[in-house]
Amino acid sequence: MVENSEAGTILNIEKLNVSYPIYEADPVHALRGLDLKISKGEIIGLVGESGSGKTTLARSIMQLISQPGRVDSGRIEYDGQDLATLNEKELRTLRGNDIAMVIPNPRTELNPLVTVGMQIANVARYHLSLPRKEAKAMALAMLEAVQIPDPLRRFKAYPHELSGGMAQRVVMAIALICSPRFIISDDATSGLDVTVQTQVLELLQDLVQQQGASMLFITRDIGITAHYCHKVAIIFAGEIVELAETKNFFNNPQHPYSVMLLSAFSHNPKLRGMWSKAAEAPPEGASGEGCYFAPRCVRASDKCWAEHPLLRTSGEAHGVRCHHPVER
Amino acid sequence: MRIMRYIGKRMIFIGPQLLGIILVSFFLVKLIPGDPAVMMLGPMASESTLEELRADMGLNLSVPQQFLIYIENLVLHGDLGRSWQTTRPVTEDLFLRMPATLELITLGLILGLLIGVPLGVGAAYLKRGILAKFSDYYGLLAGALPDFWLALVLIFFFYTILGWVPPPLGRLDFFTIPPPTITGALLIDSLLDGNWQALSSAAGHLILPVLTLGLISGGPILKMTQSTMDRMLESDYSRYEEMCGLPKAIIIRHALRNSLPSVVTIVSVLYGFLIGGAVLVEIVFSWGGAGQYAVQGVLNADINPVLGFVFFSAVLSLIIYLIVDLIYFAIDPRVRG
Repeated sequence: MVENSEAGTILNIEKLNVSYPIYEADPVHALRGLDLKISKGEIIGLVGESGSGKTTLARSIMQLISQPGRVDSGRIEYDGQDLATLNEKELRTLRGNDIAMVIPNPRTELNPLVTVGMQIANVARYHLSLPRKEAKAMALAMLEAVQIPDPLRRFKAYPHELSGGMAQRVVMAIALICSPRFIISDDATSGLDVTVQTQVLELLQDLVQQQGASMLFITRDIGITAHYCHKVAIIFAGEIVELAETKNFFNNPQHPYSVMLLSAFSHNPKLRGMWSKAAEAPPEGASGEGCYFAPRCVRASDKCWAEHPLLRTSGEAHGVRCHHPVER
Repeated sequence: MRIMRYIGKRMIFIGPQLLGIILVSFFLVKLIPGDPAVMMLGPMASESTLEELRADMGLNLSVPQQFLIYIENLVLHGDLGRSWQTTRPVTEDLFLRMPATLELITLGLILGLLIGVPLGVGAAYLKRGILAKFSDYYGLLAGALPDFWLALVLIFFFYTILGWVPPPLGRLDFFTIPPPTITGALLIDSLLDGNWQALSSAAGHLILPVLTLGLISGGPILKMTQSTMDRMLESDYSRYEEMCGLPKAIIIRHALRNSLPSVVTIVSVLYGFLIGGAVLVEIVFSWGGAGQYAVQGVLNADINPVLGFVFFSAVLSLIIYLIVDLIYFAIDPRVRG
């Protein structure tokens, strides 16, 4: 288990609402009043199913929400600075330099016509204003740092010539070359098989901690967070439903959704069946203001259908958004 | 090394491809009604003289027999027959006229590229700007306006009213001594000859026809560049470069590089098309190009120029497509692999 060393907040997200308008229909609300604080040097795991708003959150932090999405309200403060107030040029110097992103599917996201070495070097060249030659040397050193075998040859390789694991390392090299203070890893290892995944994750964790950076580690695999994160945040339908130190979370998960996610790993079909349930229609008279999870919750009561729960913090900074939290 | 092998493989197929093209066009041309013998001797000729001429030209043989003789002459002697209108061998005529057409459409397409690519890139990057609107209208106009009409309008403005350019009659002024034919392209030949008078005269005569073809072909090039750039700027890797905070100029340059194959494709298609398709512009400017020559042949039942033209354009098109493939090779490492 890793220890949180530094105090002080690096990223503070307050009541963030992001929606995607849909032609002649109600907009999709991807993030609904999301709050999240990340301290310096902290690795926080963000777990949720697809469509829960994970990637939208990552893109919001980068200020690059895909069209036609937009921020309806709320703010994102990075190092005490409201990101919405920065202009395009200031954002460009921040992206890839101070806030870096490790992406999934690197083989489709790397430019197919540029050698991977040059793609790494370009980032260093423009952010650190290095001459071409020095940027190249730095890129080569970075390829070594991410433990790519035969870095000299890989430097001249094109993305399609790399394996998935190697491409993932290249993307890590791009993210880390400017020593960013904040890293977002968006489901970065989902395409790798388990053994490669472990190697890559351990490397990422090492490098992040060497540089003293913070990381928002987005994943669909709750098991990963147990090993690599200080804290775990569970996101459902665009809001955080549970947030706790990793140890507390796994010892005592409180939200029925968290328990459902954990029970999904169980080999006991009875346990799995106890917590998962097909979504049901809201009961007659439900105001639509209730808990977003109620339709799928095995513990849903009338109160859950009527009243939206707040994130309540109990002992040891364990927050849960539920009227009927699970207790041991 | 891989490139050489690739070129070699392509070369093997050139022969059969050309044979097929000639076969189809030969029989198609034979389907056109009209008797060359009557055309040559006039309506007053007697039946016996007509018969004599037909036998002389081999017209009394069956079409497949005629075809075999044609192929034999072409393969063994490089002979494409004679045009009865010019009374000269078709190869000689085409070696004179083809360069005139090629000079014209090459320069026209270069101008089209210079217009279309920057406008397309600009319109794709600034989607709501005035440039995008202008590009939209321009693309529409270039697609809708007939080239000969545009040529006439340009002549009216720049020759009749403003008098900035020489009269639209051929490739040189009357009194200019043409440079010795080396490549057939007057600009290059007069440069090689150091004949500055011919150079300026040739350049002056090129201005309007090149402008016509450039403005017209700029439309499709613009549209292709714009739509491909649009896609590339929305692509995963452009977004990723955006996330890495790379400067706009780099992102656009990379996207353009990824768009180049489509631009090269449209240019090659236009090139192949314009070899014959520029004929109306050639007529308006009395250019004396290859397209004009072929049309004269069709109208006067003069078969050999038509077939010769088809053969020349086919060879040129095959060369162009080979060059295009080599350009893909150079641009995209995935094709090389």
